[in-house]
Amino acid sequence: MARVAAVLKALAQAWRRDSGSFQSTVGNNFFLVTALLLQNAGTFIYLLIGVVLLFPLSTDPLRKIPASRLSFWPLTDHDRRLLRLVSPWVNPVSWLVLGAAVWAARGKVTLGLWAAFSGLFVLAFVLSDLPISPSRSIWLHVPPFPGRWNQLIRKNLREILTTLDFYCALLLSLSALAWRIFGVSLPSEAFLALTILVVLAVSSYSQCLFGLDGAGGLARYRLLPLHGWEILIAKDIALLAAIIPLTLPLAPLAGIAAALAALALGHQPSVERMRPQRRWRFSTGAGLVTGLLHAGIMAMAASTVYFTSAWIVLICAAAWLASVWYYGRLVGSDAPK
Amino acid sequence: MISCRNLTRRFGSFTAVDSLDLEVAEGAVCAFLGPNGAGKSTTVKMLTGLLPPTSGSVEVCGLDVVHHALEVKRIIGVLPEDLGLFDDLTVEEHLLLTGSVYGIPKAETKLRVAQLLHALSLEHGRNTFAAACSHGMRKKTAFAMALLPNPRVLFLDEPFEAIDPVTSKIMRDLLAAVARRRVTVFLTSHILSVVEQIATQVVMIRKGKIVWDSPPSGLPQALEQHYFDLVETPVVEELSWLGSPRS
Repeated sequence: MARVAAVLKALAQAWRRDSGSFQSTVGNNFFLVTALLLQNAGTFIYLLIGVVLLFPLSTDPLRKIPASRLSFWPLTDHDRRLLRLVSPWVNPVSWLVLGAAVWAARGKVTLGLWAAFSGLFVLAFVLSDLPISPSRSIWLHVPPFPGRWNQLIRKNLREILTTLDFYCALLLSLSALAWRIFGVSLPSEAFLALTILVVLAVSSYSQCLFGLDGAGGLARYRLLPLHGWEILIAKDIALLAAIIPLTLPLAPLAGIAAALAALALGHQPSVERMRPQRRWRFSTGAGLVTGLLHAGIMAMAASTVYFTSAWIVLICAAAWLASVWYYGRLVGSDAPK
Repeated sequence: MISCRNLTRRFGSFTAVDSLDLEVAEGAVCAFLGPNGAGKSTTVKMLTGLLPPTSGSVEVCGLDVVHHALEVKRIIGVLPEDLGLFDDLTVEEHLLLTGSVYGIPKAETKLRVAQLLHALSLEHGRNTFAAACSHGMRKKTAFAMALLPNPRVLFLDEPFEAIDPVTSKIMRDLLAAVARRRVTVFLTSHILSVVEQIATQVVMIRKGKIVWDSPPSGLPQALEQHYFDLVETPVVEELSWLGSPRS
């Protein structure tokens, strides 16, 4: 029993540390804005966030111990059975599912909602426990780009595709596309608002462009015979390549303006205040003030393009280029730090 | 080919590399030896422009590494301590990336990539992402990246560690071959038996200072013994609890 308790204690510690990475939502532009400005109209968005958050949280805690290590430990069959039964309760989502079941029994939550909630949890839990190694081969299909930065852009795009920001934006974009397909009429301003939300959902990544490169990747940047601006452009092209298709069903030009504004502002924290990021989490932005400023300027850029003139995109592009030139010098000189 | 004058690097009050003077000739294979924490990797980082020196100067092929960083990068190949690989690129993509950023024509890059993958037995793992590679595969990839641009100087930080014997032999032979073609090789290693076979210059560093610099023929005794005498004497600790009846 003491051995099982020791393993459970280690599991709880590992889970607590891992779940701490979900606090990244605190510094995420999208969460900041939805929390501060969309309290009344945000139910759908919060539902989306709930789904996106719940899925990675619903993993089997026992898989935090490498299978080979677990098999070496001197545990009896009884110990292992006990561990299998008790370890799921290390994950607080298990307790949430149980609590929701009690609510459902008392009629406070509909049975259908509880079934959907617990079904999603069980699905994620079982999938995480299957003895299949996560295949990265899907990323081989990321298309090539022309020019000498091809592999860098592909790598950067793959990094973006392993953040939850992208999938949050994708859900929003797909919802808008569905509205369009099924003929639900929306006021034209709604497209602008949705475009801003989509770009906002991905924009925190622009504040931590080097976050997923790791120490090895950062060292490699400094060994490659490339100028700093080239490294930044390869980062930016990848982000634009992710954002532009998402805004196509909405207001693409406004989306491009907002994305360029986000990148122009994001270079400073990306280069001067590097923060490592974790895959399959939301990106952590540079903080509340930067996030709100970022969101405000993006919204302004998108609105101006949408309501006044498409030529404003050129001003955003000029600001972006100036930012690439200025912060590119820092990347080239002694960065990444 | 490599020239350091009074090279010093401090981290706060700690001096990692202290007034290092070093000359490595063209076509030499310089083995830079020392215990962990002696300043080997810090020196390599300064020689390759990864870390600016606190004082002193470094020249590679007559170019100041600090002031001509980009030009130096174009003529050197580096196997860094942490290998410098991107998790989101495959083995082959790392090599293609190297070819394109060094301005090597596409056809020539493809040819070199194919040859390097074959020579280092990486063909089967060409589409494996670096994050999913074994340590040996990662090291071979980083080594291939260092060779691909046909550099004039190679800096290799612990190239033979965690490598299988066959690959180690292949790498040794490749290094000997490039040195014969006047490519300078600067490497660090803890595997003295391998070093003995390829080095034409042996430099030992202890607590940031060079304590020996000569060709292998200038060593007064076997390399290993000289290393123990000069750099680090092995500690003997009796772990009496090992093998005793369990409590």
